[in-house]
Amino acid sequence: MIDCSSFYPSTSLADFHAQGHGWADTLVCRLQTAPLPSDAAGSHLWMIIALPLLGAFICGVFGKTLGRANTYLVACGSVAGSFLLSLIILWCVNDYRTVAPNTYGEAFHYAVGWDYGVWFSAGNFRVDFGLMADHLSTSMLLVITGIGFLIHLYSTEYMAHDDGYWRFFAYLNLFVAAMLTLVLGDSLVLLFVGWEGVGMCSYLLIGFWYEDPQKAFAGRKAFITNRIGDFGFLLASFLTVATLTAFIAQAPNDNFSSSRDAAGAASKFKQGLFTRGPLSFAALESFAQAMPSGTDPSRVTLESEIATGPLKGHTYGHILTAILLLFLLGAAGKSAQIPLYVWLPDAMAGPTPVSALIHAATMVTAGVYLFCRMSYLVVLSPFAMAVIAVIGGLTALFAALIAFSQEDMKKVLAYSTVSQLGFMFMAVGSGMFWAAFLHVVTHAFFKACLFLGAGSVMHGNADEGNIRKLGGLKREMKFTWLTFAIATCAITGVVPLSGFFSKDSILHGLHTNHLEQYPAVLHFVWFLGLATAACTAFYMTRLYVLAFEGERAKDARVPHAHESGPAIRLVLGLLAFGSVAAVAWGVPFMDHPSGHEAGVQAPMENYLWPVFNTARQINDRTAFVRSEGEHGLPWGAWGMAWGIALVGTALAFFLYRSFFPARGNKPVPALEPFRKLSFHKFYVDELYDLILIRPIKFISFIFYRVIDAVVIDTIGVRGTAWLTTRFGAMLRYAQSGDAQSYAAVMAVALVAGIVLALWGSM
Amino acid sequence: MSSYDSRLLNFVIFAPLVFAAVLFILPKNEKGQIRALTFIAMLVDAALAIWAYVRFAEGPAEFRLEYWASWVPEIGLSYHVGIDGIAASLVLLTGILGPLVVLASWTFVQDKVKEFHLAILILQTAMMGALCSLDLLLFYIFFEAMLIPMYLLIGVWGSEERQMAAMKFFLYTLVGSLLMLVALLGVYFIATPAGQHSFDYAAVYNGLLGGSREVAACVKAGGENCSLSPVAAALMRYGPWMFGAFALAFAIKVPMWPVHTWLPDAHTQAPVAGSMILAAVMLKMGTFGFWRFAVPLFPAAAQKYQLALATLAVIGIVYGALMCLAQRDIKRLIAYSSVSHLGYCMLGLAAMTPEAATGSAYQMLNHGVSTGALFLLFGMIYERRHVRLLSDYGGLAKVMPIFTAFFVIVTFSSVAVPGTNGFIGEFLVLLGTFNSKLPLWVGVLASLGVVLGAAYMLLMVQKVFFGPVTRKENQQLHDLNLREIATTVPFLILIVVMGLRPQPLLTVIEQSTRRYVARATLGPESSEPQLQVKTRPPPTPAPAPAGAIPSLKLGENEAPKPSPARDRLLRPMISPNSPRPVLMAAPPANAQGAH
Repeated sequence: MIDCSSFYPSTSLADFHAQGHGWADTLVCRLQTAPLPSDAAGSHLWMIIALPLLGAFICGVFGKTLGRANTYLVACGSVAGSFLLSLIILWCVNDYRTVAPNTYGEAFHYAVGWDYGVWFSAGNFRVDFGLMADHLSTSMLLVITGIGFLIHLYSTEYMAHDDGYWRFFAYLNLFVAAMLTLVLGDSLVLLFVGWEGVGMCSYLLIGFWYEDPQKAFAGRKAFITNRIGDFGFLLASFLTVATLTAFIAQAPNDNFSSSRDAAGAASKFKQGLFTRGPLSFAALESFAQAMPSGTDPSRVTLESEIATGPLKGHTYGHILTAILLLFLLGAAGKSAQIPLYVWLPDAMAGPTPVSALIHAATMVTAGVYLFCRMSYLVVLSPFAMAVIAVIGGLTALFAALIAFSQEDMKKVLAYSTVSQLGFMFMAVGSGMFWAAFLHVVTHAFFKACLFLGAGSVMHGNADEGNIRKLGGLKREMKFTWLTFAIATCAITGVVPLSGFFSKDSILHGLHTNHLEQYPAVLHFVWFLGLATAACTAFYMTRLYVLAFEGERAKDARVPHAHESGPAIRLVLGLLAFGSVAAVAWGVPFMDHPSGHEAGVQAPMENYLWPVFNTARQINDRTAFVRSEGEHGLPWGAWGMAWGIALVGTALAFFLYRSFFPARGNKPVPALEPFRKLSFHKFYVDELYDLILIRPIKFISFIFYRVIDAVVIDTIGVRGTAWLTTRFGAMLRYAQSGDAQSYAAVMAVALVAGIVLALWGSM
Repeated sequence: MSSYDSRLLNFVIFAPLVFAAVLFILPKNEKGQIRALTFIAMLVDAALAIWAYVRFAEGPAEFRLEYWASWVPEIGLSYHVGIDGIAASLVLLTGILGPLVVLASWTFVQDKVKEFHLAILILQTAMMGALCSLDLLLFYIFFEAMLIPMYLLIGVWGSEERQMAAMKFFLYTLVGSLLMLVALLGVYFIATPAGQHSFDYAAVYNGLLGGSREVAACVKAGGENCSLSPVAAALMRYGPWMFGAFALAFAIKVPMWPVHTWLPDAHTQAPVAGSMILAAVMLKMGTFGFWRFAVPLFPAAAQKYQLALATLAVIGIVYGALMCLAQRDIKRLIAYSSVSHLGYCMLGLAAMTPEAATGSAYQMLNHGVSTGALFLLFGMIYERRHVRLLSDYGGLAKVMPIFTAFFVIVTFSSVAVPGTNGFIGEFLVLLGTFNSKLPLWVGVLASLGVVLGAAYMLLMVQKVFFGPVTRKENQQLHDLNLREIATTVPFLILIVVMGLRPQPLLTVIEQSTRRYVARATLGPESSEPQLQVKTRPPPTPAPAPAGAIPSLKLGENEAPKPSPARDRLLRPMISPNSPRPVLMAAPPANAQGAH
């Protein structure tokens, strides 16, 4: 190792060389040393978001007048600019000396951040425009802008014949800006801005071809399903504010005793909540650090009851679990998990580049990002972890089963995405945050490649996406075939492609980790994971075989497919290369930071070490998650995972290569009922329609026709009017203007009065 | 504060009326001139409102830009105006909206043009007056004065069933406000000692405050037999009734569930200008009334019925949203969405926390902007097609791309996507509700509006704009012209600016929020609510009470005979518009027309 401690941006090279370093050392040190001071990097983070935002504005307002070429240039250029800026940020955060300020506690290393002032505040609540990039955000930045740029490039060819190109690129740029806000925001509220922003762009892009009512409906379905998740997200945020408010009122300084100066840390934390608001991630991190488990009379612990505020009487632990489960609802909406996954397959109505960028590589991983970002809270609630893992496992298997029988290329890939996201949730639930994130990155490459490959296939086959009407593309679209095959191998888990290592690190984690209070859960989820891995291999191979192998289908839309143009091929090639090269992050070869005997770790784990450090420290204290890690490389688990993948692949190859044409599209007649069930997605959409949508429509109709129209308006309002009219009409008889009747009334009254007077005096 | 400042609000209030007088002389068929003059009047008023907002800088006094003049000293009625944070914000909203309303009906109204513009100018004066009034009876006069022009706007320039809708609107509102008048007189007699009866807000408030504290203490002790001062005893006995009367009057105006059924009819039948004013400003009079009068004057009763109020608000949010899902008429749908959105405002008021109350006030502004814009935009296609059903449209995105883009942006503001104004208000209201004394389910149910709101708004967008163009009439629609774009763009700018830079507006609001919450909860800060406004000097010349307001140029001692010249000036300006005579004449004529 080279000692770069004497190397600073300000150091003159002559001095450095004078210390006996050569040019190679200079280069290495140059790469390990931030090119910018922390403040300079932090205070320019906004530009990463602003560039695509500006691009969106230009494309949206002037795109039509600028013409195609200029619009392409603006759209691609803005994302490329963001990518370059992200690279600089990556360079900065690689340096230990780069620090981000932290209002609530000690400054963060390996991070840059900046507070651009208050966004809104009221009472004791405050939210700032604060951006922060640590290793987690930076990796996401590179994925978003890097893959985002490639997909923009791809779209220039894919959308070449669409008149709405300017609208498309405006939405796409806007999406990139929103997604960047999501990962750069340093508070839950700012994250939520991006969270809803990407949802909005997704809505606009799914319904891009709005003239088709089906597509417009799919967009609406996506937005509303996401909104159900956002409902959970909002509730969770509000509960978090209430919890933190109660915590600072209740917690003694002892809660901060892990810090050298407990009283100082406590007062800084409280001061920070006051000046900077409760919902920033730094606040949550300090809160999580100050929250021990067990019972301890001198501190507030997870078991303590909340003493003040609206949550009075509940324990902190229970409320945290509730908060995380509500966040899970939010994440399930965005990341398409049970029970809110139903929108993602329909979202394939959008143009294919959109499916690749939004519904595979970036937006749908936002839920995983959210949990990784708040890893320190997640590890405080083993129950929530168990639920996250189980939801992930069930979703993964369920979606894979549906993918078995889908006939639309993009639908298969959509369910595959749902399934792979399930894997990431399993990893989060088992506390393997880095593995979840590694899968986010590798999945971004190979799934984007698969989707864009599907797009290329549709582009060359007159928009035919049905795999039964394709076939034999291996010979007709050689380049697409090659990249698609590589990506298929990657997702299936063929050694040594990236998917193998990311998926296997998840399965390995599920196998070795145990939740102390729920010992069986992760084992159960591990089985779900293994089954899903086999299913993945099966349906991906089926997709590949039906589309690319064999003979061209007789009822194909065009007799011969044509290979796509240079932009599409370039992008496919780069993504396929990425699917292979991403393996570099997944192979465990680096020394463990906590000592050589602790084994080896993957570069991604090493890289994200500072991000998940708090979570690890908390878990060391609470021991909610136990790891019975065997040290050294898990050859046995690898072998098993590979074996399972091979079985799935072989079975699909065998069935669909040999029996599919021979048996009239039904390779296994005995399983026909299951195929039907799977093809109709287990009738979940119909179920939701029956138990949710229809009742709501019915209730609203009843409310409108009965309560509003009859009870309030007719009986209440018109009834009052009618009574008044009747009463007035009755009184009308009293003033008829007839002198005789007046006289009669007077006489009767007089008599009555006399009688009454006499009666009274008697 | 210069002497201009102390008269500034008078200009804000009466500038439209003065222009209306000029308009009165213009010949009937000079439509262009009439429109232009009204537009200029509204621009002047908007400029004055903005100036007033800017001059309303931070300072110690609660009410600023005050102006006081004796009006009918015998009964303690004075012309007293001044604005605090929330009034300043709403004055700003009303001012900015004025010219846009005129632009919006530039070509829509072709019939009785002069009368139409007279009506909206008078309405502007009445609304500004109601927002600025610091005298209960003066407020009542302006509050009632709003009724007539709006009644005419709906009844004369409305759609096919306009007379029924106008009648319903009028009667509904009148019932509430008559009850309020009774309660107002009750307050008048209870709050101030005999011989010094006054309608002045400060006098009434300060008179009731001690009593409210006693009542609250008594209720807290749970005791039946507390020894109460006369004011407190009267409050104990009649307070809930008087609160109920005020609350009902304002609840009808908001409108809260279940007294909301006039709104869909009124909105559906009203012309574009009527809908815009109704949604953007007049509904806020209800929430503003709660904020200024119903809650601070009767804090004990308000706390007693806090949960009931919040429950009605939540029902409004969810019920209103469900109603929207059942609508086929676009204007009715937007009207019901108002019920839902105003539910958030009411919830924020009922939660009585600083976050929620600030959010509530902000939500009032947001609703004014986004629902005003929705009605404006719908008015544009209504002008082209004169049909309102969802099924009459479809596929408009193809024919009118600019219009569609505008409408979709406003829709996102209405469903509170972060980055637009709607988000800030909803977020703060819900956050404040969660952190209030109200049970958790109130906040949870209210948050359901987030989902339902998206459901109905996007349903409408899909049915109107997406899919193929199904009707032949829609194929030839021309996109927005320059005037229409110019009318809409200010709304879009407001939506984005209020979403991204809300803090300057929130800071102004928050000055009032703190006081509102302290008054509503009679909390530890409630020693502070001794208002620093001008109280009526006693009828007989007496030494000036302590705490004279530095802002007022009028010396306390010369107050009993305050510049009679100005007094005379004011009187004729107000009396011709006094609601009584018109109010008696109007209903029967239209009542017959309706049946």
